[in-house]
This record gives sequence, C-alpha cells and structure tokens, in this order.
Amino acid sequence: MPLLEVDALQVWYGDLQALYGVSLALDEGGVLALIGANGAGKSTLLAALCGLLEGRAAGAVRFDGRAALGRPAEALAREGIALVPEGRMLFPSLSVEENLLMGTLTRRRGPWTLARVYQLFPILEQFRGRPATALSGGQQQMVAVARALLSNPRLLLCDEISLGLAPLVVEQIYAALASIRAEGSGLAIVLVEQDVQRACGVADAVCCLLKGRATLQGRADDFDHAQIARAYFGH
Amino acid sequence: MRHWPLVALVVCAALAAAAPALLDAGWLRLASEVLLMLAMAQMWNLLAGYTGLVSLGHQAFIGIGAYFLFYVSDRFDLHPFALVPLAGVAGAAVAALIAPLLFRLRDAYFSVGIWVFAEIVYVLATKTRELGATSGVPLKSIRLVDVEHFARNSFWISAAVALAAVAGVRRLMRSRLGLGLMAVRDNELAATSIGVDVWRNRLAAFVISAFGCAVAGATQFMGTMFVSPEAAFDVNWVVAMMFIVVIGGIGTLAGPIIGTVLYFALREGFAAWAGVSGSWYLVAMGLVAIAVMRFAPRGLWGWVLERRNARGDRS
Amino acid sequence: MDWLQTIVNGLMLGGLYGLFGLGLALVFGVMRVVNLAHGEFIVLAAYGGTTLAALLPGVSPLWWVLPVAVAAFGVGYALQALLVNRAVRSGDPLTPLMLTFGLAVVLRNLMVEVFGTNPQALDGGAFTRAGFDLWGLRIALFPLAVLALAAAMFFALQWLLSRTEWGRIVRATSDNFRIVRLMGVQPNHVYNTVMGLALAFAAVAGMLLALRTSFTPYSGVERLLVAFEVVILGGLGSFWGAFAGGMALGVAQLLGQKFDSNAGSLYSHLLFFVVLIVWPTGLARRGR
Repeated sequence: MPLLEVDALQVWYGDLQALYGVSLALDEGGVLALIGANGAGKSTLLAALCGLLEGRAAGAVRFDGRAALGRPAEALAREGIALVPEGRMLFPSLSVEENLLMGTLTRRRGPWTLARVYQLFPILEQFRGRPATALSGGQQQMVAVARALLSNPRLLLCDEISLGLAPLVVEQIYAALASIRAEGSGLAIVLVEQDVQRACGVADAVCCLLKGRATLQGRADDFDHAQIARAYFGH
Repeated sequence: MRHWPLVALVVCAALAAAAPALLDAGWLRLASEVLLMLAMAQMWNLLAGYTGLVSLGHQAFIGIGAYFLFYVSDRFDLHPFALVPLAGVAGAAVAALIAPLLFRLRDAYFSVGIWVFAEIVYVLATKTRELGATSGVPLKSIRLVDVEHFARNSFWISAAVALAAVAGVRRLMRSRLGLGLMAVRDNELAATSIGVDVWRNRLAAFVISAFGCAVAGATQFMGTMFVSPEAAFDVNWVVAMMFIVVIGGIGTLAGPIIGTVLYFALREGFAAWAGVSGSWYLVAMGLVAIAVMRFAPRGLWGWVLERRNARGDRS
Repeated sequence: MDWLQTIVNGLMLGGLYGLFGLGLALVFGVMRVVNLAHGEFIVLAAYGGTTLAALLPGVSPLWWVLPVAVAAFGVGYALQALLVNRAVRSGDPLTPLMLTFGLAVVLRNLMVEVFGTNPQALDGGAFTRAGFDLWGLRIALFPLAVLALAAAMFFALQWLLSRTEWGRIVRATSDNFRIVRLMGVQPNHVYNTVMGLALAFAAVAGMLLALRTSFTPYSGVERLLVAFEVVILGGLGSFWGAFAGGMALGVAQLLGQKFDSNAGSLYSHLLFFVVLIVWPTGLARRGR
C-alpha cells in the first residue's frame, strides 16, 4: 500500500478552481518531483496534503491508509507529515536552535535529533544562538529543512527549497537530501521545484502540473527534456 | 432621482424650521441632543472610518469648544451664538498644535495617546479657577441673549450643525481630500507612491473633525447653560460616538445616522422602561457593540450594503 | 529628605503600576491586541476580593489573591476562545479594539449596577499598615512587598518566555500563527492561555490595588491609562522597560501630588508625553 495516495483532488478558492482532479501515489522511501510553472497549483496541492489548505476541497487524500484531507495541520504533523514551507517561514523571534527545537514538539520518535541535524548541517551548530533571520538565505533554508526533519516525519514536503538561493548552497542542500535517501529510512519526499533538472535528478517519479491539471506523470527517467518542456509550458 | 441629496437637505431643513412649533421644550432639548450627537459621530467617523485613526480622546475637543464659548463670550461680552463657530476654530487650533506629537504614534498607541491628552486637558480644567475648577461655570453671557427665544434658537443652531456635518462629510468624501484620505486608509504605502501626502491629509481630517466636535460641544453646553469638567470631558462622549459609528456602520454616511437613532432609542427606552438607572442602557449598548463586532464587523449599514452588493454581483 | 521619601514611595507605587501594565504588555506583545477592558478586569478582581471578604469575614484577604487570579485565568481563556480569537483573525485592527471597548463599557456599568458607586477597599490587616525605618526613611512594608512581588512576576514572565518550551511556543505563535501548526501546536489554545495569564496578572494587580486604596467601578479607566503608559514606555517586547516605566510613573505621580495636591496623575501623564516625544519607540532600546 502506498504511503500517500491522492485521489481526484479538486480545490477551489471561492469561485476560482485551483486543482482539477489530480491523482498520484507515493511509496515509502519514494521521491516525487512536483514541477510546474507559477500558479500551476503545486503549493495548493502541498497545502492540501499537510492540512493548511484554506480553500474548499473534494476528492480524497490518504496517508498511511487513513483519510487526511480536511484534517487540521496540527494533527497531521503529529502523524508524520512535515512541510518545509515556501519562503522558509522561520520564526524571527527565535534563535536558530530554538527554531530547530520547535520541530521536536510533535514528540515523534525516530532517528532525527538535534545532534544529528547539526551533523548534517554543521554551520547551523556554529550559529545556534543567533536569531534565525540573521542567517543567509541558504543557511535559513537549512534551518527550515532541519526543523522539518526534527519532527521525524514519514513524509517530507519541500516547497521550492532552491528558490532564490545560490547554486552552491542548493547543491549542499540537495546533497543532504540525497544522503538521507541513501540511508533507506523510508522517508518519502515530495519536492516542489521550478528547477526541473535538479528535481528530476534526485527523484524517482515526476508529476507536472499546468493550470491545476496533471499534464505528465510517471517515472522520472521515462521522459526526455522535450516531453517535460511540453508538459510544463503546455505547448 | 438625481438630486436626492439636495431634496433631502431641503426636507430636513424644513423639518428643523418647523420643529420648535411642533415640539414642547423637553422634546426640543432631546432633539437638539440627538442632532449634536449625530454631528459628533460623523466627525468621529471622518477620522476613524475614512482616515483610519481611532480616537479615544475626542472628548477633549468637545470640552475645549464648550469652555471656549463659555469663557470668551463672558469675558469679552460677546453673544454666545457668535462664539459657536469660533469655538470650532479653537478646537481646530488645538488639534493642529498637538498633531505633530500624536501623529508619531500608530494605531493603538495613537488611540491611547490622545486619550491621555484628553485626561491632561481635563485635569487642567479642574485646576483652573477662572473656568470654575471642579464645580464648573454657568453661561454668564446669557445676559446678552434673547431669553424668550433662546431654546428655539439653540435648537436651530443644533440642526444647522448636524446638517452641516452630514453634508460636509459627504462633500468632503467626494473631494480630492476625501479620496486621498480613503487611499491612505486603505493602503498607506500605495497612496504615498501615487503622490498622496499622507501627513497633510491626516492632519486635515484631524483638524476638521476637531472643529466639528468643538462646535457641537459648544452648542450642546450652551443649550444647557452650564458646563463642568466632568461633563465636558467625560469619556462617555467618545463611548457614544464610537458605538454609534461602529454599530451603525463605520466608513459610511448612513451608518452614523442609524447608529444615533439606535443609541437614543436604547437610552430613552431604558429610561422609560427601567425607570431609574442610567447605566443599564450603556450595558445594552456595550452588548450590542460586542454582538455587532462578532457577527457584522462592518456595522448594521455595512451589513446591508454587503448583502446588496452580493446580490448585485449575481447579475 | 522629604523628597527622598516621596521618591522611595513613588518607586514602590511604581511596582504596582508595573503590575497593571504586565498583563496588557503580554497580550499586546503576543497578539497585538489592545485590551481596552484591562482596567475593568483589574477593578472586577478587586470587587471579587471584596465580595469574598464579605462572604468570609474571618479570613485575611491576602488569601484571596490566588483564587481570584485562578478564576481570572479561566475567564481570560474563555474570553479569548469565544470572542477575541475571531476578532483578531478578522485582520482589521479596529475590530478587537471595538470589541474590548464594548466589553469595558459592559463590565464598568454592570459593576455600577451591582456594586454601586461608593468607594470600597480591602482591609489587609496589620500587615498593610506595618513599616520600618531605614536611614531616616519610613519604608511601608506592604508597598515594598508589592514592589518585590511585581519584580518577581516580571522576572518570572520574562524567564518563562525566553527560557522555557512554552515560551518558545508562544513567541513562535506570535510570529507566525499559521506555520506554527506544522509543528503540532494549536495556536488558538496558545492565545487562550496567554489571555488567561494576562487576566490573572490583572487580577493580582486588582487585589493589591484594593488592599492599598479605595476604588469604584470607574477606577478602571485610570488604571487602563496607567497600564498603557507602562506598556508604551517599555516599548514593544521589553518587560524590563515596562517595569522601569512603571517606576518612573509612580515617582512622577507622587512627586506631582506633593507639589500640587490634587493633580498627581497630571504629572505622570505629562511625563508619559514627554518621554513619547523624545523616545517614540519607548524606553527600551532593543525593539523587535
């Protein structure tokens, strides 16, 4: 049974429809690249998955066999869904370490501890006492990812983690994700990215959205550049 | 009917002219109070609803206007009626003076800051012997007045003030200043970027609303022929203004009219029904305000407008 | 010497003033809500104390401080849950302002109807009248205890917010109401607790007020203004600034009263204005 199942998901914001019946599945340990242009519906889909959706939804989302659509984010977090939000969304009043510790509030058991996270991103340990927003963009992204990991999730949702960051930093973060993957802990990852190459490089499966519809789905290696470009832009 | 505002103005003026012949002294007094309260509410609405500044200290201008009229008319042997507009100028002048200080404060800080200012003015009034200190002072310049027609003339002045306030705010909101105000209220940054001078617009609204309240305050106390600090600077003035505007519909012209009617209906209703105590109507007002904030934050008229717009969109 | 005595008394009064502002500062700092009913809650707690004292006359009123505070916590929690949370979420800063103003009017006038307008007070017994001499100054025990209690409560709150997990949760919720849910936090519950705590502080302040001086249902307005001045002098997010502000106001009030017998509050208000002109962001240099 897949860890995550999305079944004909539709979302409306008032009278505006944002998703038109998207379906997908993700197994434990799988990595899905969710690509598409701005406004395609990627963030909406993630919001629906983690319980932060502010619109009306129809269809089904099942996490570990249990219904997840419409349930509050607080509950889903405790069941093992973690989101690295677009724009990082660190807490400005908290230090780096305090931001990280916020991730441990779900009290889930698992391999991720503060020590382990500092191993993964050593620079954070150096800056642990600093206000989180005093760090560079790339470092803040590391904090955001680490914060999500500290809740010991089974499903990690990453919303545009490479946005606005220098390539070198993006390399570091993706390398970290790859190393997590290699450990085989069973953590499933959904990567929302505009950088298609980057995302497809590390993912097993890809789903491309265009104006709320899935225009391409399947294994990442099955598609060539031209096919992806067509699905992305619509022509 | 294209000219309905003009028609309404003429009708109201006619009613006001006829009223003293139709109503007895007690009702005339009440009518004066209602009209002046409406004027004050429109002034508060100008500042809060159209400019976005919530003042919890507007009672200061009511008192300043009243005291100015009482003192100056007596001291300089001037007819109190002549002093009504001058009292407004006094209020406006004070507003212009303290604006640079108060405008450094934003939102809640401004609201409380101006309340502190009102308290300071209140205490100063209680300490000034020439103004009667804590016990207040009667309208000594009454000696200059045609006593027989005083009540009637005061009423007409109240009516004029109310009509001027409503018509004035309406006219203002259609002017450049008014549009500028609403732009600033809605989005200060955007307004600045299109060249609206935020500071000057806010100052203008602040000064005008102070002028209006001072005129209304002066007229109110002139009519009762007595002023005391506790009555003139009572925070319940701003409580009434705020409730009238909020419950009626902030940022609309009709809202304060509805609110004023409701306010006095409650007040007189409670006085007649419950007999004695004056505080219960305030409890009722407070409960209505809480309910409105909870269920219809744009006020009663705002709620009506919303339903009308919603229906309009369907077509 | 006389002036020194006044200053010392003013500092101690400032402790109580600081307490008036503590709850307000908490709510304002965390939720950006201006609770205009704060003064009325202070007075309501004072009436709670006098009612309990009337029901059980043998017991010293000092015992009632804690139960009244606990009751106030419950009231605050419910108030936030039922009314204020929705008002805050409306996005319009006017809505919570008007809501709490409405609440203030309701409470104030209900108290007038239920308790009347005659001044009341609590008698704390010998403790509230005791004092000792130090270096030629008369130190009254009760105000000193209030100052110490205020300092302790300020310290405790600051410590709670900066060094405990609960404090982290509160600060994070204040920063980002939506995102904090991703960590399993229920932000509404957090806000409810904060309001409860704020009203508990107000209740303690109210009880101490009743033990120190007489009060009427209209005493809330004056206390609200003081509380606000304390919060604003402290600047956003600084509790120590607020505490210092409270003491400055206390000194200004008593010095002013000494100099000009019936207008003490005028001088504390003027001090507030002067400080605001010179330091618009408050006494604390560290802002958020």
